[in-house]
Amino acid sequence: MPSLVSARNVSKSFGPVLAVNDVSFELEQGKIMGLIGPNGAGKTTLLKAILGLTDCDGALSVLGLDPFRQRKELMQNISFIADVAVLPRWIRVNQLLSFVESVHPRFSRPRAEELLSRTKILPRAKVRELSKGMVTQLHLSIITAVDAKLLVLDEPTIGLDIIFRKEFYGNLLNDYFDKERTILITTHQVEEIENLLTDVMFINDGRIVLHASMDALPERYVELMTSGENAERARRLNPIFERDVFGKKVLTFEGITREQLKGLGELRTPGIADLFVAKVKGAAA
Amino acid sequence: MIANQVALIRRELWEHRAIYVTPVVIAVIVSLMSITGQVTVSSFNNALDVAILGITNLGERERSGFITVLTAGLSGFFVLAMWVLIIFYTLDALYAERKDRSILFWRSLPCTDAETVLSKLLTAVLVIPLVTFAAIAVTQLVVLALSSVWLGMHGANAWHLVWGAAPLFENWLATLVFVMALPLWLSPFIGWFLFVSAFTKRSPLLMAFLPILILPMLEKSLIGTTVFADAFFVRSGSLPILGEMDVGDFMFFEHGELQAADSAAVSLLPLLNVGQFLGSPGLWLGLAVCGLFTTTAIYVRRYRDDS
Repeated sequence: MPSLVSARNVSKSFGPVLAVNDVSFELEQGKIMGLIGPNGAGKTTLLKAILGLTDCDGALSVLGLDPFRQRKELMQNISFIADVAVLPRWIRVNQLLSFVESVHPRFSRPRAEELLSRTKILPRAKVRELSKGMVTQLHLSIITAVDAKLLVLDEPTIGLDIIFRKEFYGNLLNDYFDKERTILITTHQVEEIENLLTDVMFINDGRIVLHASMDALPERYVELMTSGENAERARRLNPIFERDVFGKKVLTFEGITREQLKGLGELRTPGIADLFVAKVKGAAA
Repeated sequence: MIANQVALIRRELWEHRAIYVTPVVIAVIVSLMSITGQVTVSSFNNALDVAILGITNLGERERSGFITVLTAGLSGFFVLAMWVLIIFYTLDALYAERKDRSILFWRSLPCTDAETVLSKLLTAVLVIPLVTFAAIAVTQLVVLALSSVWLGMHGANAWHLVWGAAPLFENWLATLVFVMALPLWLSPFIGWFLFVSAFTKRSPLLMAFLPILILPMLEKSLIGTTVFADAFFVRSGSLPILGEMDVGDFMFFEHGELQAADSAAVSLLPLLNVGQFLGSPGLWLGLAVCGLFTTTAIYVRRYRDDS
């Protein structure tokens, strides 16, 4: 599969602060990658560099283009939600569709209208008259009506209720995603996208702390729930992180086989959120 | 490129409805004032008949001049409003999109920053003047039509007094040239406003006008020269598109009679001196300053990341 995003030693600093610190990775076509990190980890800065919204050091190529210098060409082939609630509030829905239609060669207005017909959004409505959830539906309808090779979503569901969020991800998978397309997504609600992702990348303090395919996670990481003596024995295998759950110990291991931990307690593959905490906090300890 | 400009400029008109609402409102007010005036004047029955008789007996040049002065007077409101519109529009153009963060959405579409900023400049120097001109022309027609009806009701020959005498097309051409020339002459201010709009974090109006007021004062008190004062105030007070001719030469009263000056024409066209305007270094210097500020505004929109 060809690589859509290729980053080699990408850095971006704001004054003395290194927001993105020597990051290298590849994102291949047909993947859904989750970019996970705490606030201020550099996620948004990295996304902005990928979208050509900010300059950066190092070699960054998106669809074979220099995102900052060839932003117009890039924007014809990618679509993104940088943040929810950034649609201009004064515009009418049909004006918005007309405008995107006239500047975007890959935008299909019939497709957007079909998506919107499933919602309660009326064509004459102004954005300011819509609820927060409807604005996001509108935004999503527009960008998913763009025949884009790469879709970038930065916190697309922030501030939305659970029903909207479920619907959003459902639509994304059922209506939008196929083998030709690639999605890069960040969110704090990690659990909700866990089953969606094919790949995951953790970023902390501007550095990538983990980049793996979801299929590879069970082999590389295992979580052991145990207590007492068994916990003591398991600790000798150098867990990367340990936490307490209902008076029991949960130890996270990296590169330890399930065979080695057999008989010490309950084994399972850690969830993304737990794994993230283990990687970030474990590294800090 | 052109298709994008059309779409972008159309978007500006959707967003800034004041661009066409303001001239329409003024047009309605002026027309209403004209009706009110006619109704008021109608109460002076005897004096009125004498006046109409007097006007009817004026020479053709005097009648043309009279109507030119009347219609040009109407344009004044629109030209003033146009300049106010341009100021508020340009100060808002690159500020509002940052304030409501919609810039993140606009920049997710395949339009370059240069195209976007250019569309806003073109809206200020081209679209607003054209809309203003259209409003002026329609209002003049309406007011002249109302006057015709009124004159007809008082037994006067409206064709003779109004339509036959009005050098409408010459006046329109002159008005069009004038409203197009004004923003070009004031373009350094327009460029500055766009730059402030792209740059400032708050209160663009204040940020735009404080330096215009403070810089000349500082210069005068610190080094005693008036370079900035001249640049700011002499420019806004002069307009080389207007020829040497004084409006006072245009029409005058002699022995209580309205007279057209012998040398003067009776339309607005001879008042303009396009050659002098295009040949004035101040115009080109101003356009260069506007270009510089606009380029900086593009640069700021492209490089600054404050979302």
